[in-house]
Amino acid sequence: MKFKAWIKTITFYEILVGMGATIKHLLRYKPITLQYPHEKRTLPDSYRGMLALLRYDDGTEKCVGCDLCEAACPSRVIRVISSEVPGEPTKRHAKEYYMDMTRCLFCGLCVDACPVDALGMTREYEWAVYDKRQLLLNKQQLLAIGDRSFPVREKRLELQHPNVAFFNVAFSYMPPKEK
Amino acid sequence: MFELGVKVAFSLAQITVVFGIVLLTVMFLTLAERKVIGWMQDRMGPMEVGPYGILQPIADGLKLFFKEDIIPAGANKFLFSLAPILALVPALIGFAVIPFGPNQTVELFGIQFKPFVISDVNIGILYILAFTSIGAYGVILGGWASNSKYSLLGGLRSAAQVISYELNVGLAIVGVLLLAGSLSLVTITEAQAGGFWHWYIFAFPFPQIFAFVVYVISAVAETNRVPFDLPEAESELVAGFFTEYSGMRFAFFFIAEYANMILVSCIAAALFLGGWNAPYPGTVIARLGYPDYAWVEQVVWFATKVYVFLFLFFWLRATLPRLRYDQLMRFGWKVMLPIALGNILVTSIAAYLFPR
Repeated sequence: MKFKAWIKTITFYEILVGMGATIKHLLRYKPITLQYPHEKRTLPDSYRGMLALLRYDDGTEKCVGCDLCEAACPSRVIRVISSEVPGEPTKRHAKEYYMDMTRCLFCGLCVDACPVDALGMTREYEWAVYDKRQLLLNKQQLLAIGDRSFPVREKRLELQHPNVAFFNVAFSYMPPKEK
Repeated sequence: MFELGVKVAFSLAQITVVFGIVLLTVMFLTLAERKVIGWMQDRMGPMEVGPYGILQPIADGLKLFFKEDIIPAGANKFLFSLAPILALVPALIGFAVIPFGPNQTVELFGIQFKPFVISDVNIGILYILAFTSIGAYGVILGGWASNSKYSLLGGLRSAAQVISYELNVGLAIVGVLLLAGSLSLVTITEAQAGGFWHWYIFAFPFPQIFAFVVYVISAVAETNRVPFDLPEAESELVAGFFTEYSGMRFAFFFIAEYANMILVSCIAAALFLGGWNAPYPGTVIARLGYPDYAWVEQVVWFATKVYVFLFLFFWLRATLPRLRYDQLMRFGWKVMLPIALGNILVTSIAAYLFPR
């Protein structure tokens, strides 16, 4: 056994096996490279890309300014300044809405936290900029991203009385909590 | 006077052609290396510049040419500028004695010329060994003059490595010199004519196969290539001795490395693999009845041997990881050196028993 190992050492057996492996890959050349700017990967359905604010089908903003996304965000990306809708004292909306995308880690917790599904994650990922300040997005920019990424908009619910705030539509099928 | 003028003009033309071919080969090698290693690792290599990336060397050259030339603060300016030249010139000057083709003469204006041999020095191989040793000074001085700890460490490693492995290269060659009885590369190559069984790697009294293996390993180590690239180990020393270099000075070091690779391959082809001789007796073109054009085939054979040897460099780089420093030294002094010395002993006995 020792003699065999010695023979292997002096004939560079391991090195020759390794070189055989590389030459095999050269002869059966099958690259796994994707020529990125020219050809792109097909993204999975659950891809979490750039964040966006959404609208209802009548063009009104979904966001009700509840600040829950700001509370959920682990890296303090979001800043919401909430206020009453002018002329409608029972309704609230986000007067200003900022996202500092330089800090965002695309965890999707804000999207989960939103009670009215006003936030969405698009499939955009090419957001390299020359100036970092261009990544500090305001409400208009976020709405514009939502407009171009989500052409099909959710319908504003008929049930929703203009004077009644309506939360958690997604859980309406569950039995109401007992008092 | 006229004779001298024609001779000088012809020599200059030869030097220009060889220089151009070497630099073109360096350009080609930079692309070929990236492509071959890419293919071996299931990648594509450069693909952007030109169709399939074939213009990449030109883009690289332009980039290096227009880059800012930075001399770091505290650097020794004179030595910092001298080091790349000291590295490049010995790498290119060695090609003066390489026989690229048959040793035939051409008569031009009544004067005899040898078109494929710039100069047939009778101590050719000694001349090459001497000048490649000067190349180590470029590396060491470049590392020292940069005023950077990474460069200094790279330079020191290179000094130790080149000294250790120069020795093995020299001793591996001695076997061939004993068999050929000459230091001239032309004479050595001519002694190997007439089929591959006359090449010194397989030749009669004692085949120099062990010397060839020692030579290949030591040559890889001497040109600072993977797996012996400790002087420029990226993961430890940033870029080793040329960490602080940029622009054309960096390009000089780069060209020197590749020119050294070509030079080492040329020596291997000339000493061990029969140089310009085909692996069968004579040449096909001469047999067909055109002995005046037999040089085409012989030059092609020489180029083939050199390129196969260069491919081996890429192949090793794609396969092997880097050695540790103590492994490198132990391998050089405790394994390669005894093999080379034993080879000299056996070869000299064989050459004494079977004189030519």
